[in-house]
Amino acid sequence: MTTPDHDPIGLKILWDRLVGIVDEGVSTLVRAAFSTVVREAHDLSVMLLDTDGELLAQGTHSIPSFTGSAPATLAHMLARFPPETLAPGDVVVTNDPWMGTGHTYDINVMAPVFRGGRVVAYALSVTHLPDVGGQGFGSEATDIHQEGLRLPVLKLARGGRLDRLLFDLLRVNVRVPEQVVGDVMANVACVNVLGRRLDAFMDEYAVADLTPLSRRIRAFSERAVRSRIGEMPDGVYPAEMTIEGVDSPLTLRCAITVRGDSIAIDYAGTDACVRHGINVPFCFTNGYSIHAVKCVAAAAVPNNGGTTRAISVSAPEGSILDARPPCAVAARHSVGWFLPTLIFRALAPAAPGAVQADSGMIAMVAFRGARRDGRPFATLHFASGGFGAADGNDGEPTLSTPSSNAAIPVEVWEAATGIAVTRKALRPGSGGGGAARGGLGQEVFMRNDTGRDLVVDVMGVRTDYPAQGMFGGGAGAAREIRVNGRKVARKGRFVLRPGETLERYEAGGGGFGDPADRPLDKAAEDRRLGLV
Amino acid sequence: MPYRIGVDIGGTFTDFALFDESRRAMAIHKRLTTPADPSTAVLDGIAAMLAENGVAVSDVDAVIHGTTLVTNAVIERRGAATGMLATEGFMDIPDMRLELRYDMFDLRLRYPPPVVPRYMRAEAPERIGHEGDVQTPLRIDDARAAIQGLVDAHGIEALAVCFLHSYLDSRHEDAVRELCAREFPDLYVSTSSEVFPQMREYERWTTTMINAYTRPMFDRYLQRLEQGLDGLGIVGRFYMMTSNGGTVTPDIARRFPVRMMESGPAAGALMSAHHARALGIPDALGFDMGGTTAKGALVRGGAPLKKYEMEVARVHEFKKGSGLLVKVPTIDMIEIGAGGGSIAEADDRGLVQVGPRSAGADPGPACYGRGGARATLTDANVVLGYLDPGFFLGGEMRLDKAAAENAIAEHVAKPLGLAPIRAAWGIHEIVDEDVARAFRVHASERGFDYRGCSMVAFGGSGPVHAVGVARKLRIPRVVFPLAAGVMSALGLLVSPLSFEVLRSNLVFLDDLGDDWVERYLRLPVDEACGHLAGAGVSESDIAVTLRLDMRYHGQGYEIEVTLPVRGGPDLAGVSDLRPRLRELFEARYAEVFSDVLLEESLEVMNWKVEATGPETEASRGYAVSGAGEVGASGEASVDAARKGTRPAYFPEAGGFVEASVYDRMALAPGAEISGPALIEERESTCVVGPGDTARVDARRNLVVDLAGEVVSA
Repeated sequence: MTTPDHDPIGLKILWDRLVGIVDEGVSTLVRAAFSTVVREAHDLSVMLLDTDGELLAQGTHSIPSFTGSAPATLAHMLARFPPETLAPGDVVVTNDPWMGTGHTYDINVMAPVFRGGRVVAYALSVTHLPDVGGQGFGSEATDIHQEGLRLPVLKLARGGRLDRLLFDLLRVNVRVPEQVVGDVMANVACVNVLGRRLDAFMDEYAVADLTPLSRRIRAFSERAVRSRIGEMPDGVYPAEMTIEGVDSPLTLRCAITVRGDSIAIDYAGTDACVRHGINVPFCFTNGYSIHAVKCVAAAAVPNNGGTTRAISVSAPEGSILDARPPCAVAARHSVGWFLPTLIFRALAPAAPGAVQADSGMIAMVAFRGARRDGRPFATLHFASGGFGAADGNDGEPTLSTPSSNAAIPVEVWEAATGIAVTRKALRPGSGGGGAARGGLGQEVFMRNDTGRDLVVDVMGVRTDYPAQGMFGGGAGAAREIRVNGRKVARKGRFVLRPGETLERYEAGGGGFGDPADRPLDKAAEDRRLGLV
Repeated sequence: MPYRIGVDIGGTFTDFALFDESRRAMAIHKRLTTPADPSTAVLDGIAAMLAENGVAVSDVDAVIHGTTLVTNAVIERRGAATGMLATEGFMDIPDMRLELRYDMFDLRLRYPPPVVPRYMRAEAPERIGHEGDVQTPLRIDDARAAIQGLVDAHGIEALAVCFLHSYLDSRHEDAVRELCAREFPDLYVSTSSEVFPQMREYERWTTTMINAYTRPMFDRYLQRLEQGLDGLGIVGRFYMMTSNGGTVTPDIARRFPVRMMESGPAAGALMSAHHARALGIPDALGFDMGGTTAKGALVRGGAPLKKYEMEVARVHEFKKGSGLLVKVPTIDMIEIGAGGGSIAEADDRGLVQVGPRSAGADPGPACYGRGGARATLTDANVVLGYLDPGFFLGGEMRLDKAAAENAIAEHVAKPLGLAPIRAAWGIHEIVDEDVARAFRVHASERGFDYRGCSMVAFGGSGPVHAVGVARKLRIPRVVFPLAAGVMSALGLLVSPLSFEVLRSNLVFLDDLGDDWVERYLRLPVDEACGHLAGAGVSESDIAVTLRLDMRYHGQGYEIEVTLPVRGGPDLAGVSDLRPRLRELFEARYAEVFSDVLLEESLEVMNWKVEATGPETEASRGYAVSGAGEVGASGEASVDAARKGTRPAYFPEAGGFVEASVYDRMALAPGAEISGPALIEERESTCVVGPGDTARVDARRNLVVDLAGEVVSA
């Protein structure tokens, strides 16, 4: 057997195989997971990192924010447990917001991959847990200590033996212990599968050391991203947007500097942290910023450490995009999710054919209660707004963005919770007009049929500031939440009593280009389908 | 003397097989498909084949048919004006899909529109709860008015009735069907509870809409065929193959066209299973590669694996999630966008990519000389010496090797800084790797251990790549059956009558009482067996297979557990299995997810029943009579079959080496050949590597044993 060549053929074969391995990890995770958050909504990420601590491959269906944060997570883990102290069968975990992915809900599970007595790579699996205790998922907390159990970097298993104590601790701290433990174990199964597959891969292709291969993969990725950035005219591209806060609106600002084949994003001028759980740790800011640039510049290049090299991100310390402990951060996505939009707006003059008008975005509502048979549940319901239009491309209705969470089927949701869904329909007229029309949002009505009080947390975005169009396109309709017919605050917690109803009107996407330029046949079809 | 006929309609050719039951002889026939009315080629071909073989029409016992007509109707939107009646408040579910993006980075996502446009949908006030309770009774007058409205405004010819939780209680959907039978007798009605009574409204309703949409077209097609067969004087029975490899009567096919979507490829997978059984191999991989796609199937215990979900009309050709999701029993096949016409080019990373873009048949690969300039897989296989430019399709079509070399140099080698031969080899090798990777992921998701399996390879390009793919998967043996070009037509003849019914009914294992078999299985068993009885199968000939989808409480994905009994419709002995269900589940769970077992309660989600009729004569073996007789002994035939040598590229032997070339049709049982060798038949060439050995077995299969493991990138 020969050491494989790293030319455009050999590299292609090895690289795609590595992506295949992490995809296999994702499929193991999804099928072994217990919570609907993972198995239906795919709120997860699976990655392989090399011994440089850099990202080597990421599962194709992974939450974008986790790409940028994984190397930092691994670095924190290795600072606590240096590689030479790790043994085969060790599993390391943390859910610390500043070491992981920005809130305590994401559990980061890492296993070193050993060959011949030394570490050759690290397998990392991250999922959003259905519960971590504390106040429960939402933006109500005023500091991190109210946001549930926070695990520093710990060993979940040593030499293949699980730490019973840690599992006992988890069980008593969370509302749905069997789901949380089941999900944690699904992550363990996932990293084990990655380890076994990587070992077989290295055998088969006689790869003694992954790192040179990883460096080569990263170099190709970096070159691909840089060549696309190089096509954008040099300059400084600013953007500013106002979004919903909890008590008062927030302003996000960025200035993007394109110089040669590099992009620097700076969030100077962005508002300061607030006293609610919507502050964003920098790891999340960084992840979504990189994701947005990649969508514009190199959508088809698989994620790895190389794809992030040409992009630098900075935010003022203490701003809402670089929140420090003890800030509350549970609903950090309700601010962080706007970053792709802000970046697309900024880059519109530099890459008009590649950007997208604002999307209606996904809305999450957290429910805690018990089914009619008494079984308690704590779960999330996702409903998506419309997708933003792009040059010559109408926005699709109801697409999860910027996070990628599948809708939970009505029949599955009702059977799992006993909360009735009484309506789930498109919201005609909610897409912004334009040469390309924005996607439609939806209406979801629910009724508390569980026979007991339900605690509901809403984390609505696009309630006051609807999705804007681009290049003359119109805005989409804003999001609205009503309880028993009365409009409620965009973010907050309330109790839904038996028989009461929750009505959600999800936001439409923005249009692209002047509505006067809309082709007549498309306009006629919109009317015929009753979409406008 | 009894004869059976198999007919499979493909995109280019319609393939025929004629089985003589008394002599166990199989004759084959091929003719161009007639797209305007596919039944023309079917009827003409049957008449021609009977005449060629001197068979009287009255001796034809049965005609079994496979077609992708239903799939094509969905892709090309040639179905009927179809309406939908949904639960009030939910008619937009088909547009809203699963709300999931199939690509995280693509800002210009597109999805195929539902087959029933929004303005042809209506709602009825009614509601069944998730426990099967009637929350809002159906007001039949409202339903009538809604349907009348769709008939008046849009002249609908078919109707899909889609109510929530109807998999638990179908009374409202049934009431609408009865209403239509009385008051709209011309309407083709499909209800979601009869089409596929499984939880998850988007998938169930999409499946039901597609079923309704294709019923009128398919019904008329079947009528034309039946009349045509009558016209030929054929009095034998007529059957259709379903996507899961069963055969059904035209009555069932008319009601459930959505179950026929993959009937051609399913027949190919059945042949892989058939050959595996005939060779005494329990587990095998079926591999079929044609002009635009490759398909793979896993065979476990002599039967192809099945699944209950497929995607059609993908917008992004091979991107999972970009099509319409359909739930039907189907053979679990891998589809890979790689075939002879696949175009090789640089991807966004600056690496070589092959497919899924295809040059198709026209202009086709550069070497066809029909104006195709792009480099394709077939071009690479010509440059590497695997395909003889003078013997393509048996010499009917000359290939231009210089054009192939130019295309690869211009479009792959130069832009990427590769030597031309490295580029050609890379194109070939990347396809082997893509196929191997797809098999690996597919097998591991299903807990299928392929090491030590054999591969059964067919299709135009399959035999060129099979040994390379097998080597990557460390599979020791590849079988190349005779008549690889008409495998699907042959497959139609080996399948028994069968019908499968699935029901969602969530119940804890601990709650199963003594009457569990009667309570949960009796209804689906009676339904499945009833379809067979209606086709004339006597009860004593019906075998029932039971599969339960089980999971830990709280998990969302089920594991299929096949009950270890294969009895008749009386279900004798099944009831006693109750105490073993947990252990059966855990054994499968360990195979799929390895190690981690949990203490959670178990629940049963779906109850699947498959009723199967007696085995067919053809499944016990046959000889291909059209292949020509070889008089010589095996050893002597090797020399007679040898056509000469030509240089072919085998990197493990250092590059181009002189490989012996053989005429497959002249090789007799017992013949043995050492690689490197190229064994040619009309529609393909089996590439045998250095150190591999090929022999011809008693059924004239070519069986290649691979040399020690060699893998290179």
